[in-house]
Parts: sequence; structure tokens; C-alpha cells
Amino acid sequence: MANVLVVDDEPNILLSLEFLMSQAGLTVTTAADGETALRKIAEAAPDLLLLDISLPGISGFEVLEQLRRDESERHLPVIMLTAHGREVEREKGFALGADDYVTKPFSTQQLVEKVKALLVERAT
Amino acid sequence: MTLKGLPKRQRLVGVWLLLSGVSLLGGALFAAWLDSQLALSGMARWVLWLGSLSGGITLFSIGLLLERMLFTPLRHLQAQLARWVANPDAPDDHTAEGWLTGLGPDLRRVSHRWRADRARLTTAHAEGARSASRIRQELETLLQVLETPLLLCDRHRRVMLFNQAAETFFAGNTGLGLGKRLDALLPTATLAHAITQLPDDGSPREMLAPCGQRWLKVVVRRVPGSEHETLVTCTDTTTTWNNEMGVRAALNRMLPPLRQHAANLSSAADALRQLPCSQTSPALRTRFEHVMHDESQALNQRVAEIGTLLDDLQYHGERLRPIWSNDFWQSLDERLDPAQRLITPIGVPAWFKGDAPALIELFASLVEHLRCHLPASGFEGEMTLHPKRAYVDLIWRGVAVPESELSVWRESPLTTLPLSPTVADILRQHATDIWSVTDTDKRHAKLRLPLPVIAQTQAPREMAPPRPEFHDFGIAQLPAPDDTLANRALRSLEIVAFDTETTGLELRRGDTVISLGACRIVNGRLLANDAFDHFVDPKRTIPAASTVIHGITDADVAGAQPLNIVLGLFRDYVGDAVMLAHNAAFDMLAISGHGVHFDMPVLDTLLLSKALDEALDGHDLDTLAKRYDLRFPPNTRHTALGDARVTAELWLALLPRLEARGIDTLDALLALQANAFDKEDASAP
Repeated sequence: MANVLVVDDEPNILLSLEFLMSQAGLTVTTAADGETALRKIAEAAPDLLLLDISLPGISGFEVLEQLRRDESERHLPVIMLTAHGREVEREKGFALGADDYVTKPFSTQQLVEKVKALLVERAT
Repeated sequence: MTLKGLPKRQRLVGVWLLLSGVSLLGGALFAAWLDSQLALSGMARWVLWLGSLSGGITLFSIGLLLERMLFTPLRHLQAQLARWVANPDAPDDHTAEGWLTGLGPDLRRVSHRWRADRARLTTAHAEGARSASRIRQELETLLQVLETPLLLCDRHRRVMLFNQAAETFFAGNTGLGLGKRLDALLPTATLAHAITQLPDDGSPREMLAPCGQRWLKVVVRRVPGSEHETLVTCTDTTTTWNNEMGVRAALNRMLPPLRQHAANLSSAADALRQLPCSQTSPALRTRFEHVMHDESQALNQRVAEIGTLLDDLQYHGERLRPIWSNDFWQSLDERLDPAQRLITPIGVPAWFKGDAPALIELFASLVEHLRCHLPASGFEGEMTLHPKRAYVDLIWRGVAVPESELSVWRESPLTTLPLSPTVADILRQHATDIWSVTDTDKRHAKLRLPLPVIAQTQAPREMAPPRPEFHDFGIAQLPAPDDTLANRALRSLEIVAFDTETTGLELRRGDTVISLGACRIVNGRLLANDAFDHFVDPKRTIPAASTVIHGITDADVAGAQPLNIVLGLFRDYVGDAVMLAHNAAFDMLAISGHGVHFDMPVLDTLLLSKALDEALDGHDLDTLAKRYDLRFPPNTRHTALGDARVTAELWLALLPRLEARGIDTLDALLALQANAFDKEDASAP
């Protein structure tokens, strides 16, 4: 069963995403800030990261950048989440190495489908 | 060629030589007959022959004497008089010759006194005008620095004055020019009507007028105390209008459905929360759940639309103005260190949109951070275009700046800007962000700032030098444009002098235009900064023999527009003016048959010069320029615009001579020209 790490500082969305992902047959770990996320990635080696941009402390972009510099984690699939929704941020996410990008509010159904599709793509 | 078709002087010379020849032949035949009848010898025979030939010899000698001593000096005197009339101050007077030598001292005295009188008049005029000139210069300076586009029109809505802001505002619009009608610039019937209805007390009237892709707010007011002159100021309201009618209106439209969906969602959530768990009707719970799902989907959709609209609103903000990338890098360099060049612009320059002062401070702050962070001291600035955005990239040799470092830089205050905003504030103002990545070559890194792109592609026009004909209030004295052209005084005509350079002289056998130049005369003044100068793509190779004459090569016309496009622009440039060319038949043939019609009167300085000085030889442009002492900058002859200007100067030299002969209307001038053309035609082989 694939392990997904969801990083967001909003407990309400963490609750919903954790529930919906597990309903979809995925194992979910959560983190509420960048430092915790990096620590959990090192500890648990998730198969995919759902990463919010606006986090307390180090931002989602910084987490992404550090992952892409780290030889052991640079291939971890990352889907960025943002509440800003500017196209420039989307471009910046891709420039720094994100695999996909989802703007809030989003359809949870579509998000789960994106996660599954990316996991299948990486598995093959 | 018939005798009648010859010029008058050549006809006279012909008759003289014929009479001399007939007399000599007749005398010789008569002497031979008498000689055979009388069989004389010695002195008597000599007397017989000399007596018989004396008539012819006398006729030939008197003719020769008159030509040398009277007619040639008279022709020189005629040329000298023409020169004095056209250009009284031209040096190198011809001295009187032959039997007119006696007139020499008197002529010299007359010319010297005339010049002295002119000099005194000029001095008096200069002194009298000095104070007016000072006031005018102050006015011009004021108008030149004024950022509001401003035009002053006479009672017939002809532009008498426009400032540099107007020139910039209407850049590329051929409808703007001294003497041109306001209707050509702003073709709106309501504007024309409003101007006729303006109150005399100077109170303004506002209206919206379309101008190309823009909507202008035009404010018009009568100049109090003037002869129905109108002051026109313009503001581009396209952005405001688009915001009001576009994004803001859309936001307003979206709010009610947003409220509706939010109300539906919260009502359903409340209802679901209050539904007892023991409720025996699971169908009702399912319905509420469907409602919540549908409404949350609808809300997602609306919020996404609002996000897009807000981005648009920020991209089209009025503070974001077009910026030319090269200007931006130069300003940034000057801001950083005026003494040395720190940023080298590379790539193709382009336009982008931004708040220039804020962006310069933002980049100055980023460069200062970069210089502390990196060993590199020099940077490259590049503008890369994307369909939606322009990327402003600052490039250096080395590695990218980590996002954690950029996060700190974003919070730097820009203290030189009002209210000391942070870098992040300026980025937010432009709805953008910065990031740093290493280039694919792994040796360079860049800091990238995306900004809104604009459709404009051409480089900004170079700043024109101060225009000598900044205004022309004499335009108000010109007759109304709907007066019959035929009765217009020559001096009041608006004239466009033009010239073409071609691949060769065989226009009917494939030679075509490669350059078209023109200039404008208004109120008897050649406007120095009102010019039309375009290369034309001839769609064929330019022969080397013709390049020798005009200096135009294939490389010069590469990328130029085709003739039909240039002629369309030229037709707009001509407007309602009368056309003028030297040997106009050639130039009119060159521009005809390409779908653009020139149906205005055409004047020809070649024909007019021949009509004025039938007895003089040499009417080509070089000879006439020398005859009338016309001065022009070096290397401008045999360029289309250069020759058009010489033609215009030649017209202004011919004008007083035409007026002195009572030819002072277009009608009379065209009749004179037609007569000269008929003579030319009759003498053609």
C-alpha cells in the first residue's frame, strides 16, 4: 500500500484528506510544517508528497528545493497545493521541480485521482 | 519634331541661320550668273562677287553680333533677375556683359541697396520679435514638459499646435501634423459636432472617442477671446474602461451567485447537523449530502474564476506601464552605479509591463543582495518572451540562490519608495514572484521575475530633437478646407513634395520603387520634422548600376514592406494636400497601378521652371538647385527624402516668381503647367 505524506498547516483539510486518501486505499502520514515534513520524509520514506506552499517556518518551495538537492529524495513525486492560485506560482513550482500542482479549493475526488495516477506512473 | 515645337530662342536662331544661308546661296548663284554673262576679270570680278554675297554676310554678321553682344547678356541678366527674386541674398552675382556692360554699376548699386535694405529690415524685425520669441520659447518649454497630450485647432479644426506628449501619445498615427484636420486624428462625428457647439467662455466638454485600439477621454474647450480656436486634451481611458466594464463588472456579477452557493452550502450543513442520527429516512440525509457536494463544487468553480479575474485586474493595473527592456536595464545600471556598467543586456529587447520606479528599486535591492551573496560582480540582463508573460532574468556565472535566502530578501524594505514597501509588496503589486534556478549549461544561474507582456513589438522611437515648427498659428489664416481648391492662393496650399528611388528607369518593363520619401509644406514653410521616409521591398534584385546612383542595396530593403502597403501609408500621409514632384510624370507612373489612388492635383517643378524660363537651358534638379542657390546637407541628394526636400525648396524659390507674374492661384498655376506640358509634348520625338 502506497504511503502519502500530506503537509498542510490547516488541520481541517488534513483531517479530510487523511480520511479520503485512506478510503482510496492509501496510507497517509501528515505534517503541519516544513521542518516536520522533512524529518518525516527522512524517517518514513513516503511514496508521494502532497505539499502546501504556505507553511509556518520554511515554505513549501523551500522544502521542494531541499528535496530536489538531496540525491536520495530528488525523485520523490511532489504535488503542490496552494490557496493563492496564481499562474506565476504554478510556474515557479514546476521550475523548482514539482510534478503537479493543485489550486485550492479543489475537488477531493480529482486530487485522489491525480495522486493515484502519479503513483502508477512512477511505479512503471 | 516641328519648327513650332522648338523653344522660342532656337526658333529665332534657326530663322537667322536659314535667312543667312538663303542670302549667301542666292548671292552666290546671282554672282555666278552675272560672271558668266559679263565675263569680267580682275578687280571688277572681285567687286561683282563681293557685292552679290554682301547681303548674306551682313545678315549673318549682324545676327552673330546681336547674339554675342545683346541676346546672351540679356539671357544672363534674366537668370540673374530670377536668382535675385528667388534668393536675394545669394552670392556670386553675374556681371553685365556685351552692350549691357554699362548697366553693370547701376545693377550692382541696385542689388547692394536692396540687400542693405533687406538687412536693415531683418535687423529691425529680429529686434522687434526678440521679446515675443522669448515668450514663445518659454511657452514651448512649458508645453514640451507637459505630460498631457495637447492640441490647439483653428476654427476649421486644423491643428495649429501640438506638444511632444501629443506626438508620443499619437506615435505612428499619420493623422497628426500641423495643418492637418483633427478629424483625421479622431474621426468621430460627435467630437466635430461638440466643437461647433462649444461655449465661448472656455468651459470644457468631455467625450469618449475611439482611436485605434484605444478609447480616449477627449476634453475640448474654446480658447476665450480667440477666433473660435479649440484646445483639445486627451487621456487614454482604455485601462480604466476595461477595468470598469470588464474585470470589475465581472466581479460584481459573480458576487450574487457566490452568496447563493455559500447560503445553500451552510443551510444544508446546518440541516444535516441537526438531522437526528435516529432519523428513519436515510433518503433525506443523502439529499442533503448531494446538495453539499454540488454546492461545494459550484463554489470551487466560482472561486477559481475570481482568482483568474483578480490576476487580470492586477496585470492590467494602471500603475503598470509599458517598459522597453533596454531602457529598464540602463536605468537600473545608472541607479546601481553611474560610474560603471554592472549589467550587460543580452538577447532580443522587448516590451513588458510594470511599475518602472518600483521595479528598479526592487532589482537594485536584489542585485545588492546578490553581490553580497555571490563572488560574481557582473550580471547579464535578459528578456525572454512567453505567450503570456515576459521573463526578466538576471544572470550570473555560478549557482542558483536558495529559496530560503530569497525568502529573506523578499522581506527587505525598499526605503527609497513611498511607505517603504518590501520586495514582497512590489511582487504582490505585479501579481508575480521571483525564483532562482541553475541554467541548463550548469555554469550559469538566473533570478527570474515574470511580468505581464504587451503586444507592442517595435523599439521605442528615438526622442526627436526639439521641433522647429512646434506650432504654426498662421494656419488659422488659411481658407476653409472646403473652399474650392482652384481658387486657393498658392502660398496657402498644403503641399506634399515627394520623390521615388527605383530599381531603374524602365518602369513599364518591370522596374519598381525601392524608396519613397516625402515632406510637407504648410503655409509656405517646409516642415523640417514632418517627413515620410520608407524603403520598399521591390521583390527583385536591385541592379548594381542603380545602387551606384542612390546607394540603396538589397540589404537596405530586406524586410521592408511591399509597395502597396507603403503606398497606403503614403496616401494617409498626403491627406488633402496637393502633390509636388520634379518630373512628376515619372514618379506618378512609379506609384500608379498598385491599388492606391492619388486623385489630387499634382505640380511639377520641372514643367514650372520651363514655363518660367523658356529661354534658359538646364531644368534638371541639380542645375536648378545651383541656379537658385538651394542648400542641402551632404549625402542627401539622390535619396528619396533628400530629393523631395530639394524639390520643396525649389518650389518655395519659384513661388515669388510665379506670384510676380500674377500666377497666384492653383487654377492659374495648373493652366501654366498644362501649357508647358503641351509644349514639352509637342517637342517630343
